[in-house]
Amino acid sequence: MGPVSLFIPCTVDFMMPRVGVATVRLLRRLGIEPRYHEQQTCCGQPAMNAGYLDRARKAAKHFIDVFGDDDVIVSPSGSCTAMVKYHYPELLGGEPSWRRRAEDLSERVFELSQYLVDVLGIEDGGGVFDGTVTYHESCQILRRLGVSRQPKALIEQTRGTTFVPMEQADTCCGFGGEFSYRYAFISEEMVRDKIGHYLDSGADLLVVSEPGCLLNIAGYLSRNNPEKRALHLVEFLAGPETDENT
Amino acid sequence: MKESAREEILARLRQAPKMEIPARPVMPTPREALFDRDGLIARFTEELTRESGVVYRAADREEILDYLTEIARAESLTRIMMSTDDMIRSLDLPAWGERQGVSVSTAADYPDRESYTRAVFDETDAGVTGADFAVAETGTLVIAHGGNQPRLVSLAPVLHVAVVGIDRLVPIYEDALSVFYGGAGRIPPAHLTLVTGPSMTADIRATAFKGMHGPRRVIVILAG
Amino acid sequence: MKIDTGNFVRNAKLEMQNQYARTFLSLLPPYIAARRVKVMGSFPDPAAAQELSRAIRAEAVARMPDLLEEFEKNAIAAGARVLWARNAAEANEMILSIARERNVTMVTKGKSMISEETGLNDALAREGIEPFETDLGEFIAQQLGRPPFHIVGPAINVPVEEVCDLFMKKAGMQEETTDPVELGYAARLFLRDKFRRARLGITGVNMAVADTGAIINVENEGNIRFNKSSPRTQVSVMSPEKVVPTTTDALHLLRVLCRNCTGQSISAYVSIDRGPREPAEIDGPEELFIIIVDNGRSRLYHDPKLREALRCIRCGACLNLCPVYAKIGGYPYGWAYSGPMGQVLNPALLGLEETGDLFKACTLCGTCREVCPAGIDHPAIFLHYRALEVKRKRRSSGRWEAILFGVWGTAAAHSAVWRFLYRLARPVLAVFGKKGKIEAMPGPFAGWFGARDLPVPARRTFRDQWRESLSKQGGAS
Repeated sequence: MGPVSLFIPCTVDFMMPRVGVATVRLLRRLGIEPRYHEQQTCCGQPAMNAGYLDRARKAAKHFIDVFGDDDVIVSPSGSCTAMVKYHYPELLGGEPSWRRRAEDLSERVFELSQYLVDVLGIEDGGGVFDGTVTYHESCQILRRLGVSRQPKALIEQTRGTTFVPMEQADTCCGFGGEFSYRYAFISEEMVRDKIGHYLDSGADLLVVSEPGCLLNIAGYLSRNNPEKRALHLVEFLAGPETDENT
Repeated sequence: MKESAREEILARLRQAPKMEIPARPVMPTPREALFDRDGLIARFTEELTRESGVVYRAADREEILDYLTEIARAESLTRIMMSTDDMIRSLDLPAWGERQGVSVSTAADYPDRESYTRAVFDETDAGVTGADFAVAETGTLVIAHGGNQPRLVSLAPVLHVAVVGIDRLVPIYEDALSVFYGGAGRIPPAHLTLVTGPSMTADIRATAFKGMHGPRRVIVILAG
Repeated sequence: MKIDTGNFVRNAKLEMQNQYARTFLSLLPPYIAARRVKVMGSFPDPAAAQELSRAIRAEAVARMPDLLEEFEKNAIAAGARVLWARNAAEANEMILSIARERNVTMVTKGKSMISEETGLNDALAREGIEPFETDLGEFIAQQLGRPPFHIVGPAINVPVEEVCDLFMKKAGMQEETTDPVELGYAARLFLRDKFRRARLGITGVNMAVADTGAIINVENEGNIRFNKSSPRTQVSVMSPEKVVPTTTDALHLLRVLCRNCTGQSISAYVSIDRGPREPAEIDGPEELFIIIVDNGRSRLYHDPKLREALRCIRCGACLNLCPVYAKIGGYPYGWAYSGPMGQVLNPALLGLEETGDLFKACTLCGTCREVCPAGIDHPAIFLHYRALEVKRKRRSSGRWEAILFGVWGTAAAHSAVWRFLYRLARPVLAVFGKKGKIEAMPGPFAGWFGARDLPVPARRTFRDQWRESLSKQGGAS
């Protein structure tokens, strides 16, 4: 199997580069040297969800061109993974040669925890965190990819960490891309509930594996509960940075 | 003349692209299919009891009548309407009623539909009926309606007492309904009901209670 | 029924002020959902049971024209009269003429969603025929003049005080009470008199069985049984997708429907009619009319994606688990169907123009798809609607978005443009930033900042960091 190719979603690239950096650090710690195609842009999810299918197709084709030769593509986002894995073949269904390439690619793209646990059999990320941790089950990761056990196993194997359950952990946090600002009055209520369950769980930390959910949840905490934290799973696993990268 | 609505709708449906019919998964054998008689009785009783139905076991005609006597006393029944299916007819309820001071009528006792309707709505304390089958799966009675099994007798009175032969206790719905809709044998009835416990609702503030429009109580006597 | 889908946002905001409804919504849906999981467990293999119901519904819809003809033939052979209506107006006119010919001035009705679609009650009332909904929840909703709050509990959100006032005024209740049971019995008494006197009973249809010509109704209250027993004429109204191939299929769907609908393994009553009453019967309808109302189905049947919407069996499982429904309740969906079911059906049946919010007010979380016993992929249908709307250039948010995505599409396909645009946009966004976060911003994203902050877009993106240092650290650890 060839090297692991990183697919860093635009939300991470632009808004939370630390999550991408943590992904690299975690993989290296586990003995995996990732490659990163600098030509990568966006998977096309925002365009597809807004109904601009031709635009989404452009993004999809670019993605396939950039990543097409990779054996393994890993991403710290479940919704972007699901986009490539499940939506590309349908999106490009009208163009047989593209469709074939999309279907072919579909087999090779993984959400990070899925890759670590299911493909590599790694449940111990080598991290340390003293405290209690709970986990938000992001919708696409849970229901599209069927990934739930894997991130929790990785959390539980972290030294010093006790996993605590959270009520309604599998209920949507209210992000939903454009839903979050177009229907903010509903979205806010949903994320408020999510944070309520986090606080009720008594956990020291909330771990999320989806950048979109993390923007939503951390954005709410920053405004309303600045003393509480939420981290991406890879940040949690990689642990605090020791160098100057910000 | 303009194309009829029927032709237009069907034609439009037929012009649409055909779609694949998916394969059906194999379903495991229902648990009830493996039950013996006692298992079926236990299951039927458990299921119906959960829906607040009451189940009695009666060995013979005498015991059935004893239960009816007990029920009549406990519920202060004075007016009963009965179905005229074989099971109920075999009980000779009019004679029993005379002994117990309970008036027992059948739909045939009324000169017309109006007087029958008035009686079954307003002048009947309990409907006593047979049932074609009892289904263990969910504690369900299967009643095929007809001349001897009027629809309102098991519906309008506040108490419904059903007497079912134990030989009519079957594991699952299919065992009962295939008899009527299986294409062979009996002609399908115009009206067939599956009855599982009393009528109920939870439409106001999600508060569940029995006896919304139909019976508030259902008692089943398993006979034999 | 009044169509109010265009006021989704206003009505949702209004409903979110309703503290009573909110408390209620926070309790009931999770309760029913839990019951559902428990009772699905009574299947030896719950997953296979769900897969089978999905396969049956897919087959029923795929074979719909053949099954309808088969059903019709068998229903007629059993003595029923089968009528076909293209739309609401035709269906209502058929029922009106049946009523007029029999000098009917009052009808009792069992719950029928298709008659909610066609606005039958209003049509009857306009002609001086008084319709009485007889399902308790429908009765309350009808008397209050409101759409159904929930497909299973149409008035389950209405406070008991309001029900009490209503019943004092409109249901002949003698003494005030706020006890739900007493209120129920008051309605029982009132409607019992209607059942006794009704000359015409109208019901919906849960399933129409092709190979027997039978129609099946599923209920708990007994009102549908009364409607099929007391009046001399029965009219049962159905949409074409109610047809299923066989009794065996119907029985499996029945099991799945009840479990998903109320968390029961079976409803209190299931009634199956094959033609009008037999000559020997003293009660039951002397004549049975079955009206098949198309109301747009045969048209949307041509779109393979929309056709999937016809698989719906109206169980309401999707409502009980939808996180958006849990916040706003059923009214904002503005028509006969609410929750994910309504977000699929209302645009399909009413068109996309006035229903845009229904297919956008969704996070695509997929809970509805996961739970649906009919195999509907709701999120995929929402995406389909969104794409159709864009295609028709009627995007309600205006042109800025089309321009934005136009530019975006070019950029996404050319990484240099992508990077260049980020370099242009970042300083503009960063203007709003303070101490690493943005707390407010005008423009289309303003909504985000009501309760949330956003990180300031990074000066050094991941790609920058990769180029500058990360890529060079390989093998360091």
